[in-house]
Amino acid sequence: MATRASSPTRRAKGETLHDGFLRHANFRWLKIATLLCFLAIASYLMVDITPRHNGGSWYGYTMGTIGVLLILWLTLLGLRKRAMTRGRWSLKAWTSAHVYLGLSLIVIGTLHTGFQLGWNVHTLAYALMMLVILSGLFGITVYATLPTALSNNRAEMTQVQMLEAVRAIDRQLHDAAQPLPQGQAALVRQSLGDDPFGGGLIARLTGRYPRCATAAAQAALRHWTGDHADTGKEPLEKVDALLERKQAMLARLRRHLKLKALLEIWLTVHVPATFALLAALTAHIVSVFFYW
Amino acid sequence: MPFIIRQISLTADGREIVRAATLAKSQLSLGRASTSDIHLPDLALEPDHARIEQIDARTIRVRATGTLGFDVDGRTTRSAEIETVKGAELRFGGHRVTVSREDDATILTIRRVDAVSQASEEKEESEVFSLRGLAPPKRLTAWGLVLAILIGFLAVPIYSYASRPTDDTRNIYSVKGDGAWSSGPLSQAHHALEGKCETCHQKAFVSVRDSACQTCHKDVHDHAPAARIAMARAEPGIGGKFLNLVASTFGKPPQGACVDCHREHEGAGPMQPAPQAFCTDCHGSLKDRLRDTKLVNASDFGRDHPQFSALVQRMNGIHPDFSREPIDGRLTDDRNLKFPHDVHLAKTGGVARMARTLKAQAGYGDALACKDCHRPTADGVRFLPVDMERDCQSCHSLAFETIGGTVRTLRHGQPDQVIADLRAYYRSTGPARPVALGGMARRRPGDYAQGQIYHAYFGAVAARPSRADDAIRAVFSKGGACYDCHVVTPPGVNGEASWGVLPVNQPNRYMTKGWFDHRAHSTETCESCHAAPKSHDARQLLLPGIDSCRTCHGGEKSSADVPSGCAMCHSYHAGDGAPWAPSTPGGKRDEADRPRQTGRRQL
Repeated sequence: MATRASSPTRRAKGETLHDGFLRHANFRWLKIATLLCFLAIASYLMVDITPRHNGGSWYGYTMGTIGVLLILWLTLLGLRKRAMTRGRWSLKAWTSAHVYLGLSLIVIGTLHTGFQLGWNVHTLAYALMMLVILSGLFGITVYATLPTALSNNRAEMTQVQMLEAVRAIDRQLHDAAQPLPQGQAALVRQSLGDDPFGGGLIARLTGRYPRCATAAAQAALRHWTGDHADTGKEPLEKVDALLERKQAMLARLRRHLKLKALLEIWLTVHVPATFALLAALTAHIVSVFFYW
Repeated sequence: MPFIIRQISLTADGREIVRAATLAKSQLSLGRASTSDIHLPDLALEPDHARIEQIDARTIRVRATGTLGFDVDGRTTRSAEIETVKGAELRFGGHRVTVSREDDATILTIRRVDAVSQASEEKEESEVFSLRGLAPPKRLTAWGLVLAILIGFLAVPIYSYASRPTDDTRNIYSVKGDGAWSSGPLSQAHHALEGKCETCHQKAFVSVRDSACQTCHKDVHDHAPAARIAMARAEPGIGGKFLNLVASTFGKPPQGACVDCHREHEGAGPMQPAPQAFCTDCHGSLKDRLRDTKLVNASDFGRDHPQFSALVQRMNGIHPDFSREPIDGRLTDDRNLKFPHDVHLAKTGGVARMARTLKAQAGYGDALACKDCHRPTADGVRFLPVDMERDCQSCHSLAFETIGGTVRTLRHGQPDQVIADLRAYYRSTGPARPVALGGMARRRPGDYAQGQIYHAYFGAVAARPSRADDAIRAVFSKGGACYDCHVVTPPGVNGEASWGVLPVNQPNRYMTKGWFDHRAHSTETCESCHAAPKSHDARQLLLPGIDSCRTCHGGEKSSADVPSGCAMCHSYHAGDGAPWAPSTPGGKRDEADRPRQTGRRQL
């Protein structure tokens, strides 16, 4: 810790500032994980297990031991990430290893099963492991692709600014709608009463809000505005323009929310599935030795 | 009596601003319209929403003018009378109006309580921009799943196991919830034990022991004395030693346990035969360790397996001597029968002609075939001994007389009866009567003279009984009916006073250490293995050697048409029956059964 404090700018050899965890150290962990997978597959093909490969052969136990150690280590990222460090054992290196060794677990875990799957606790552990890995894979994908889209969509606005923009439009709508008769005012109220953050998980993830009150209000108001000439004096015209602006702002906000949700949702699978995996793994190992 | 209107609004920093106005009217209009006495810019209100009237000094009436009502102390109504001294709280859309009285004036205190819009309400950025509240909480899900799995897949089975009756002799109790522990279905034979895990897994954390198997399999033969098996087992390499160390650390039984060969939970269906490696561990280099063994090393049927040995008769006679000899192509086995296979199987010649003659009657083809004499046993594994009466006699007749259409035959297998029958025949019949002796022709003198017909006939009649000896000798001697096929002992040999025939011995099994099933080879012709059409002597052993088998069979892992592990022919637990094999053997059986033109071997 002292060395870190004394030379905060020191970088590990070969490390550049803009390397992400995927490219870390020139794909060092990708290479290591690939080698690991290659060794596992080659030995699987070369080792002659009778009558056929299964988790209970010496090869199966070896793969299983490697697998469970890897899983335990991979889980430790949850603790490790709370302490950021640099250098060879930096959090970035750790994350890089987490990603690639985690992916190699697909090969190691599958070879451990010997492709014998069934409706039992052993396959439950395998399925949970695959769920964790695949959700992680999704996470890597969104981390690698979405931040650019997120940044493009924001157009230099902060989240609070986005919300403030909606509020400003709402205030203007409220004022502009004052002269409107009750029926039309009720439509505007619908739009004002609609929670821009509402809509549930599905709407959040897909970015589709089929029951958007603003869109509904505008569509309904166009029954009145549609067959009137645009004179610039009618309060409805102003309300219509404001609803248009609100829709555009909401679209941006909802795109932002969708991207944020995608960046976040995989963890709600990854983390609980990891814990479920640890439990299933415990049951798997204990049951194997219980009925030894 | 005036109304005092106090409108309270909030500054950005939360400070209250109170604007008061006194309206000396007895009736006030309230609504969204800017012309209203009380103008509330609230879209929830109608432009002209309500009237507030002074009824008397103490009471006001509030009355809705449009279709929408208002709340009085939380209850929605369209009209209300309020005693100003008692006061009340009215609610119009997003505005709250408090009624009170002060110095004879009615005070209406108005404040906006609802935000202009949903978005304008106070929001926690970190909350609304995240999935909090939308997605299931991670921690709760995690712990829920952990608990569910640990209880369902661990606690329940262990509790059920621990609380099972200790003395479970009737075996009707089964542990609950351990079905999920099974790594795969049991084989066909053990299917009934599915779900009764503790039948085999008798103690927790103790691996399956032989004693569990022997509960049912009580009379399984040992392969060899345990001490010799221990000596015979090959010393493991470094890897093997390490694995053994790990196995014993985890409490696995030493090598040679039932489960070493008989793996379970490998899928439903028949259990697979033990793989070759389990045999060759010892037998691949057995001679190196068991120097006194008579067994030759064998590690793979295709590459390293000794020639087959057949149990042949070394010395014939009434005290025969047998020995196991390798089949080298010149091996003979004298079973006291004279039988040239080549003559009988020839497509041309007397036998073939005879076969054609008897075609309709005996069902032969244009020439004799193996099946005309050799009939399989009921199980098809081997062949019944050839039976003279059934298989030979249609051609090799022992008939010697016809009486009234009934054919008399010599009794096969009973030389004494043959002799007796022949003697009786010669005693009871006369020689053929010359034609000249009968009829009405005139007899001339001199016919009885020596050399003339009467003399010859009556002389023959007188001498006839003694002709039987000649006939008997002829039957048992070269050219006679017995001699052609049998080994005949003349009178005096073996202490017998009369003619004798050495019994023909037809073994139905030559190879006693291995198993061969003819039915499994029904797609082959007999000649593709047995060189019978070329054999001129019954003493030639027509068994094929290992090379013949190897045209189709190779080692377990070979690319031969039929990869064959040891267990295909040999049984570990030596018994009289066939080695155990699944009913549908794996391997490339279809390929092996296709017709082949090449690769036939002849000894």
